[in-house]
Amino acid sequence: MTEQSSDEQIVSLILKGEKESYREIIRRYEDKLSRYLHKFISDTDDVEDILQVVFIKAYKNLYGFDISKKFSSWIYRIAHNEAVNHLKRRRNKGRVALDDVEYKLIDEKSDIGTEADRKFLKKDMEGVIGKLDLKYREPIVLFYLEEMSYEEISDVLRIPKNTVGTLILRGKKMIKDNLEEINKNYGR
Amino acid sequence: MEDELEKSIMEEIKSGQVKIRSKYVFVAEKLGLGTAFALSVLLSVLFFNLILFYLKETDNLKYLSFGKFGIFAFLESFPYLLVVAFIILIVLSGYLITKSDVSYKKPFGYLAVGMVASIMVMGAVLTSANVGKIIETQARGGMVPARMLLDPMTGVRNSGVAGIVFEEGEGYIVLQTPQGLRNVDLERTEGVPEIEKGQFVVAVGKKEGYDFKADKIRIFEKKDLPAVDRGIESKFGADKKNLPENIFYFEKKESSCVKECFDSGKEHKSCFEECRK
Repeated sequence: MTEQSSDEQIVSLILKGEKESYREIIRRYEDKLSRYLHKFISDTDDVEDILQVVFIKAYKNLYGFDISKKFSSWIYRIAHNEAVNHLKRRRNKGRVALDDVEYKLIDEKSDIGTEADRKFLKKDMEGVIGKLDLKYREPIVLFYLEEMSYEEISDVLRIPKNTVGTLILRGKKMIKDNLEEINKNYGR
Repeated sequence: MEDELEKSIMEEIKSGQVKIRSKYVFVAEKLGLGTAFALSVLLSVLFFNLILFYLKETDNLKYLSFGKFGIFAFLESFPYLLVVAFIILIVLSGYLITKSDVSYKKPFGYLAVGMVASIMVMGAVLTSANVGKIIETQARGGMVPARMLLDPMTGVRNSGVAGIVFEEGEGYIVLQTPQGLRNVDLERTEGVPEIEKGQFVVAVGKKEGYDFKADKIRIFEKKDLPAVDRGIESKFGADKKNLPENIFYFEKKESSCVKECFDSGKEHKSCFEECRK
């Protein structure tokens, strides 16, 4: 196994008995999945617990992965299921953490002006994303932050590709509307 | 560098605490799901075929030709169990589709409409191939669970009756029905047509005591009521002349009295009246 090996090749090795190769899978996905889960779950301890469950479940069910498909979509699907289950249990409606990348993204879409305003509005922005219904929040996060294609998002969320596009469009519009509302409140 | 999460997961894996589930479990899951789906679709097709067969061959739809007078008889003879079983199977098939790996690629609405349409077309093909009749024959022989098909087919209706005229007299007829002989009172019937022995008739009205008081009556062709014809054959024999043990459908104990009376050459209706006392 090399660093250039694809996820699917690594999975094949693990299934042939090279358990140690799973370490590489964890290394490749730990940060990505952690960031993804943080978009829905604010508590860091909860995210870590869920992450552990995700990796264990993925390992146990490796034979359930169709090697002709993308491993990333499959493991994100497991993470998605665990996040949804967690949210159902906790009814977590907390604010989500916003990093610079997504702030930039939303900024581009919403015509918010100066750096000062951005800083000032950052708290509200977090709220805007956090208040988005989960069904819009997830495709937005996967598309803009995880940089997945519609096809991959379709595989993760198990919804048709067209629906992915529709949800992203609607989610963006909601974000924009909410930001305009915030702008008005700030008297811009 | 190894972090805590990686370390703890790898420890669990290496120690054997966490093991990969056997591939046969996944194969079995897929096979089970596929089999359950195929079975539920197959049964849906079969039940849809039976519903069409029932509507086509029995008296059920004929009651609607009487307009509002026939609605109760139609509802009474409707094959509810078949329809409920069909709906349950369709819902089950839809649920199993959602569990498949590819179902999410297309909107569920399209898949559901496609599946229901295919089931209906296949059911209609089976109906035109007379599969319903084969099932009915098997059911009469007790070879398949008969209740759902035969009960509504042969059950006694309170608001309608269909059969072959066995005897006709002043203000009444006696009908051979799949349930036995039945006296139909025509005293209050509107526009009674010329009725002859051996004709197929369908009447709507009300069961009052032992008699059926007809409000309306119509003559049908044999080909319009094939299931009724077969039901009568099953009760009275192929030539429809045998008087079975239970010729009078609602009072078994009176049958022998009625039969003796028939043998003495009296009118059938008067035999009914005599034996009921």
